[in-house]
Amino acid sequence: MTRLTLHVNGQAVAQDIAPTTLLIELLRSTLGLAGTHGGCDTAQCGACTVLMDELPVKSCSLLALQAQGRRITTVEGLASGDQAHALQEAFMACHGLQCGFCTPGMLMAACGLLKRVPQPTEAEIVDALEGNLCRCTGYVNIVMAVQQAAQTLAATGSKA
Amino acid sequence: MNAALEVGRFGSGKTVRRIEDPALVAGKGQFTDDLNRAGQTHLVFVRTMHAHARIVSVDAAAARALPGVLAVYTGADLAAAGVKALASPVPFPRPDGKPGASAARHALALERVRYVGEAVAAVVAESREAAVDGAEAVVVEYEELPAVVDAVSAMAPGAPVLCEAAPDNIASEMRHGDAQATEAAFARAANRVALTINNQRLAPSAIEPRVVLAEVDAPSGRLVVTLSSQMPTAVRDGLAAALPGLTKEQVRVRVGDVGGGFGMKTGLYPEDVVVAHAARSLNRPVKWCAQRLEEFSASVHGRDALSHAELALDANGKVLALRVRTLANVGAYASTTAVIIPLLIGPWVATSIYDIRTISFRLSAVMTNCTPVGAYRGAGRPEAIYIIERLMDAAAREMKLDPAELRRRNLIRPAQMPYTNPMAQVYDCGEFEKILDQGLALADWKGFEARRAASKAKGKLRGRGLASFLEWTGGNVLTENVTVNVLPEGIIELTSATQAMGQGIATSYAQLAVDVFGVAIDKIRIVQGDTDRATGFGSAGSRSIFTGGGAVQVASEKTVEHAKQLAGEALEAAATDIEYRNGRFQVVGTDLGIDLFELAAKQATARITVDGSATAGGPSWPNACHVCEVEVDPDTGEVEVVAYASVNDIGRVISPAIVRGQIEGGAVQGIGQALCEKVVYDPDRGQLLSASLMDYALPHADGFRAFKTVFDTSVPCRTNVLGVKGVGELGTIGATPAVVNAVVDALAEAGLGRRAEQVQMPLTAPTLWRALRGEFDEVQLA
Repeated sequence: MTRLTLHVNGQAVAQDIAPTTLLIELLRSTLGLAGTHGGCDTAQCGACTVLMDELPVKSCSLLALQAQGRRITTVEGLASGDQAHALQEAFMACHGLQCGFCTPGMLMAACGLLKRVPQPTEAEIVDALEGNLCRCTGYVNIVMAVQQAAQTLAATGSKA
Repeated sequence: MNAALEVGRFGSGKTVRRIEDPALVAGKGQFTDDLNRAGQTHLVFVRTMHAHARIVSVDAAAARALPGVLAVYTGADLAAAGVKALASPVPFPRPDGKPGASAARHALALERVRYVGEAVAAVVAESREAAVDGAEAVVVEYEELPAVVDAVSAMAPGAPVLCEAAPDNIASEMRHGDAQATEAAFARAANRVALTINNQRLAPSAIEPRVVLAEVDAPSGRLVVTLSSQMPTAVRDGLAAALPGLTKEQVRVRVGDVGGGFGMKTGLYPEDVVVAHAARSLNRPVKWCAQRLEEFSASVHGRDALSHAELALDANGKVLALRVRTLANVGAYASTTAVIIPLLIGPWVATSIYDIRTISFRLSAVMTNCTPVGAYRGAGRPEAIYIIERLMDAAAREMKLDPAELRRRNLIRPAQMPYTNPMAQVYDCGEFEKILDQGLALADWKGFEARRAASKAKGKLRGRGLASFLEWTGGNVLTENVTVNVLPEGIIELTSATQAMGQGIATSYAQLAVDVFGVAIDKIRIVQGDTDRATGFGSAGSRSIFTGGGAVQVASEKTVEHAKQLAGEALEAAATDIEYRNGRFQVVGTDLGIDLFELAAKQATARITVDGSATAGGPSWPNACHVCEVEVDPDTGEVEVVAYASVNDIGRVISPAIVRGQIEGGAVQGIGQALCEKVVYDPDRGQLLSASLMDYALPHADGFRAFKTVFDTSVPCRTNVLGVKGVGELGTIGATPAVVNAVVDALAEAGLGRRAEQVQMPLTAPTLWRALRGEFDEVQLA
């Protein structure tokens, strides 16, 4: 067992884990954060995307120990209290989800983009979502939702 | 609260925020893998890497000795325990008149494996890691047998045989229509066109892998299985049939959020049986989560039908006859579903919206060493519509007619409704020319040549493709029941056996309930996915809204009428003097009244419970006109969809944003088939080569998204109380032929002419690059 300390959704976490533990396993099994989904085990579908510091990463393909000392944000950490994040609002308003299984990963990938590029072009949005698969929506309303969230954030002077 | 206001905001026809969404965007969905039980164990399957082999021995001793391993099951163990093979009769006879044939499909293979990924053993352990280690320690000795992965080779003399009762590997065969009349029509036809068309094998690829959690309820001893499924009742009944000493009543199947269905989560899977058996024999909760590799190799595949299709037309372009010969590769085990899709459901729509009276179909379901085929979005209709729409374009090209004009000359007219097609299917309504005209206008059909010239100026080959079509929805189970419970806490709960899988059916049902009850949508709760609460067919074939939605309306109206009687008793007034409005009963002309929920609290059961049922008079026939434009790069063969317009008749629209999402998301799946998706097997040894999301190309976010989508609601369905038609599969069915017709048009105009029609899906860059140089894969039925 190895000692892991990190922040998850703003909370300090200190945990003894097997070195082979994947980040997604730590989140889902150890910490009970089931919003991060595993869809392919091989970093292609993106349902497991979380932010490490401010960068989207695929938690199915990272060892938990690679997050040593880092700040991890999952979909559960996106809202501020009862206030949904602009991206969550926009996904609901634009019908940007159907089954919702890929949605947490989409939200986190989009959040990582808006942190880096607050007013992205459509091409930049598409590029940022290239590693996230959705089988329901055809991506139409997902891209629209990210655009709407960027506008909302700009209008309210908020950061992603 | 004002009823008119609530209906105006949340009722049918309005775009509302889906009631499913707040939990899903917060990461608080309840997918099966999100559930964990105290004392839960983990199951991992040992799957064969051989496409075809005899199992010589399975040695599980080393696995059983590993720490944490609780049990190892083999096919022989299951048989000894009385677990039966999956019951899925082959519905139609073989060509020799003998009954339809398939090898028995055991939950774990017995004696022989017939496709890569078939489960041979299962290991249950205290942890998933221990179960994985256990699975690796199971030693299976095989004697490899020759394998065959395509239908043509499987029917050739000397081919490996999947099932001894079918020495030619034909599980089942159907002939429809009048072969002689068709022959005569072809003999006198002024024009004949023929195409060989491969509708390639697809992996449905829901992003949520299958998960099964089975446990035995401690006090009752009942088996409780939670899984990701579109048909909980079928799973319950299948488990009761397969597992020894179990009645349906002793099984409860529960379904939480389903991360995509698309047909592949219909019915019982072998894994469901194994996980349930393990939970019963260990008396511990057992969970199995599929890995993506297992999804590719052991969840059902879709399509895979090779056809030779011919159209006979008179000098004016009127179709005289349609003749189709199809070999459907149903995989290693022929299930009921796999056989009826190509042999019956597809043929029901084969003549589509065209007035074609003479048909001759010969359709064979052929077994191979591939993963078994099942339902995938459209299930037979995409294959059939693809054939007729490709033929229409070929005929137009042959006759030098505008493809829209040729179609127009063959349309069924509104005055012919109700129309009986040559498969004895009755269309209740449809104004196909009106839809065609709107589709052409939306796509600016007439302005195409200018756009083609503009594309040419930048070095691109532009093509235009049309698909005007209908489809059948319903699963032919036309009755649904809904139970309404008005609860004193201010909730109206509606329970249905149809099943949510991402299509937003709970929101659509809630909107229908708002129409009747006139309360805010947050007062409505839709309960699904529990066979203890409701049993029925489930959700498949775009049936939920026109069957279940009808039942929601009927049950809601019945509830108001029943509650009116109760209100009469409570208010000591005649029910006829009471009116319902605003969630409140009022004695007319007085201020005497009672709130619906207050009334529920007054009942002895502290609720008002009413069952309602609706039966549709037939399937629904949604129809549409889809027009696609593409640009092909002649230097690279790369193709890009550049325009897509569709006008869709789905009757009355309940939830506008949801149906648009169904059409456009569905169209992207159809574009996926046209341009990038294909399950690939190695022809020599039957290895599955497209076994990961790296190798199987799903559409990504960089694909086409600028859909123009219009709904014409002026032709309501006549056979259900709502006037709705199914919408879940329409986009997928239309997109594939629209896109392929556009690409063929581009190639034909580039100088290939009718030779361009030889091109086969998926239309990848290498395929089109070669096609532009006159090279095509040779595809033949015999």
